Amino acid sequence: MHISMNELKAALRRCFEASGYFVGNYEDAANMILWLEKHGLNGLGELERALPYIRNDSDKPLSSVVYEDSTSAIIDSHDRSALNCIAAAVDLAHAKALEVGIATVTVHNCHNRMFILKALTDCGRRGISVAAYWQNGEQNITEHTAAIRAGERYPSYSEAKTCLNASADDKQALTIICSSRVDLSTRLKHRKTRLLTETQVEENKEQSVESGIEIDPALWDEINRIGTEILVENSERSRADAGGR
Amino acid sequence: MITPAAIQTSLRGDNALPLRPAEQVMHLERLGAMHQSRLSFMRSLVRRIMRERWQIEPVRLDLDADGYGTVIYEVQAPQGLYSFVLFSNYLAPEVRNDRVIATQWDLTMALVEGRVDDIYLEKLRQNVPKQEAGRVDARVFVLSRANRSARNFDYVVDQLAKGEQPDVERIARVGYLYRTTAVYGSGKLGMADWEKVRTQYTDFARPFAAEMFVCLMLRNFSLLQAEHIARHRSPESFQPMKPEIKRYFGIGNSTGLGMAPYLVNHPLLINRWVEMRELALARIRVLGDISPALREQLHRLIDRCEQHTRETVTEDQWQTGNNQQVLKDLAALRSKASEGFDDWDSLILWSEEHCSLQGQEMLVSILLELYPTLVDDLEDYHCAEEFLDLDPLMPLQTLKEVIETRYAWALAIDFSVEGTRETCWYRSEEKMEPRLGSVADAEAKKKQMALGVGYAVRKCYDQLCDYVAEHPDHTTARFMVARPKMRGIVRRIQSMNRCVYGDIQANLLDRNVLPMHLLRCKLAFFGVSKFDPRSRLWVRNTMFQGAPLLDDIGSRFGDDWFMPLAPQQ
Repeated sequence: MHISMNELKAALRRCFEASGYFVGNYEDAANMILWLEKHGLNGLGELERALPYIRNDSDKPLSSVVYEDSTSAIIDSHDRSALNCIAAAVDLAHAKALEVGIATVTVHNCHNRMFILKALTDCGRRGISVAAYWQNGEQNITEHTAAIRAGERYPSYSEAKTCLNASADDKQALTIICSSRVDLSTRLKHRKTRLLTETQVEENKEQSVESGIEIDPALWDEINRIGTEILVENSERSRADAGGR
Repeated sequence: MITPAAIQTSLRGDNALPLRPAEQVMHLERLGAMHQSRLSFMRSLVRRIMRERWQIEPVRLDLDADGYGTVIYEVQAPQGLYSFVLFSNYLAPEVRNDRVIATQWDLTMALVEGRVDDIYLEKLRQNVPKQEAGRVDARVFVLSRANRSARNFDYVVDQLAKGEQPDVERIARVGYLYRTTAVYGSGKLGMADWEKVRTQYTDFARPFAAEMFVCLMLRNFSLLQAEHIARHRSPESFQPMKPEIKRYFGIGNSTGLGMAPYLVNHPLLINRWVEMRELALARIRVLGDISPALREQLHRLIDRCEQHTRETVTEDQWQTGNNQQVLKDLAALRSKASEGFDDWDSLILWSEEHCSLQGQEMLVSILLELYPTLVDDLEDYHCAEEFLDLDPLMPLQTLKEVIETRYAWALAIDFSVEGTRETCWYRSEEKMEPRLGSVADAEAKKKQMALGVGYAVRKCYDQLCDYVAEHPDHTTARFMVARPKMRGIVRRIQSMNRCVYGDIQANLLDRNVLPMHLLRCKLAFFGVSKFDPRSRLWVRNTMFQGAPLLDDIGSRFGDDWFMPLAPQQ
């Protein structure tokens, strides 16, 4: 079915608010999903994979900084979804890059890392270049990288399926490199890399602005069903709270 | 022509103009005392239509003798062609309801990009009359509905059918034939997103311009329909309405709590609107030449505002009291102005000492009216990019100082005092309508919306103080990793600190909060008049009263429909 971007954002905000995400975080989560979908990077597909687990994060510890110096940090996200922790990691890289020129932040135990693209884009818009790299899977891993130049509005993204196996040390890891001095760009070396250039990402956005978004009705219903949990059941008292006569 | 650079240097820095301070302007009661002005969105829209001579013609007028049927107007504006599509259906009295929860209406409307063919019209017919229960596509960018004013509509039709004109005194009491009960845009129900309207339908690339346009078209259709029915009822005796009486008909509007969360959730946009209004006032204070002709015009406008206020009818005691106070303020202002004054500054300062907030803000609107050349350019700068960005490098000591200076109003509230957190805002499952309850209602409390900015700032400040004591050298980014629950409010504090005016300074959780102030603030930016509160939670008002008619497009235009008066009969 056809929906507008604004409808998707509003429904996602309700969905994440109902799922225990706090103020600031539920907006971030909604924007991250919308950003991917709007720019042709399958945000709704990523959401569908994440949706069964989104309530689990409320029982997990908050992200913690396990190592830090002036140019780098390591954050353990304790198996949280990137939807509720990756923006803070990018902010930390951003702050360090502003201080020392270039910085690296590595995030461990973080799921749904594709959602970092919105946070990356926010940095680019604000004059900071960022690149990110992560791997997915255990056997025949896929590699992913995205980067944006300082002052730009659109990142590039590439992914490739490899014949490599994941090492035990870097499961669910993500590396962020951020610089206020160097324009970073990344591209996977694998010959079967799927690349989306900045221009293609922009074209995808223009298409979404023109026509809105297509969504599987079942997924739309599910997002809205979860979101109804923040709504108060109708009653005479509640109607009076609207000021009706 | 003012430029973005000139606006920046006027708002900030060594060469900034003397703007009224945020603690004065952003006080909720003052925001709720604002009136329409030259910068109101209805005024801006009508200026654009008149100056660009938009061509607006009915291309389909399928109405039966009772005025039911389908109407399409084509709108040729400089940047594009649009269609205003309207469905008029019989509405049984028992289902007539102005609340957002209604499911049927007298009229339903859509503003659509391009020309509408029969196939697309059928698609609209299947969905537009259903409003929230229907779906449209991204060619549509406004949906609305309206109900007849039972008192006025039949009376006006009867009068015209008899060959008589409506009694102006009666129209002064209820100045419209229809009330619109919702106007939807910005991507609701599958419509085009604001991003598309702003970039592709540039004739409407100002906040709420398309929504206001639909109300203007509704107003014009309401007059056409009344005449149409009267003509069919009594073709021999029928007389059309005189144009000056037609212009005195606006469109009614009922606004409820739905507007209140908008103001809190779009702080950068609201700040922008306030900045432009205050910048206009500051330009006048410094640059406004006071000629004898201008002094005369000031007196004429005071007289007009006085008469307009006298012609404002409301059963609400609170509003009646406000209106009477405004009349006293205007009388005092007239005396003061007659005594002579050398600059606007002295008159404004006098008003701040001697007039009510509504009287003070009436003077602001009058001053804006006097100086089109210092004011009108600013209407092009009412849009804002709404990024609430975190400043990750900000030292925590600086963040603390920002809160202490920009949010002193929030820190001054003792939230442990009974009643300061008694109100909660929540959404009903009934069309997600916002409602205002008490924390005594456990479900409402649990599901309340995050509109208590002042309280959130207080909680953030307390946590920040504890954290800074332990980590005095940390940046905001590091604080955000440790205290992710504070992310939303910290981002807001930092972003609003980059604005001249910032957040609305009020505790919206207080037992005694008056949402009416929020509604009235937004409606004043829209440009409505004749505020008529029906409870503390919703208000009736009139849009486009006094505005030019479609027939006036292409004729001389004085842009002089501020505080419209009943025509002499």
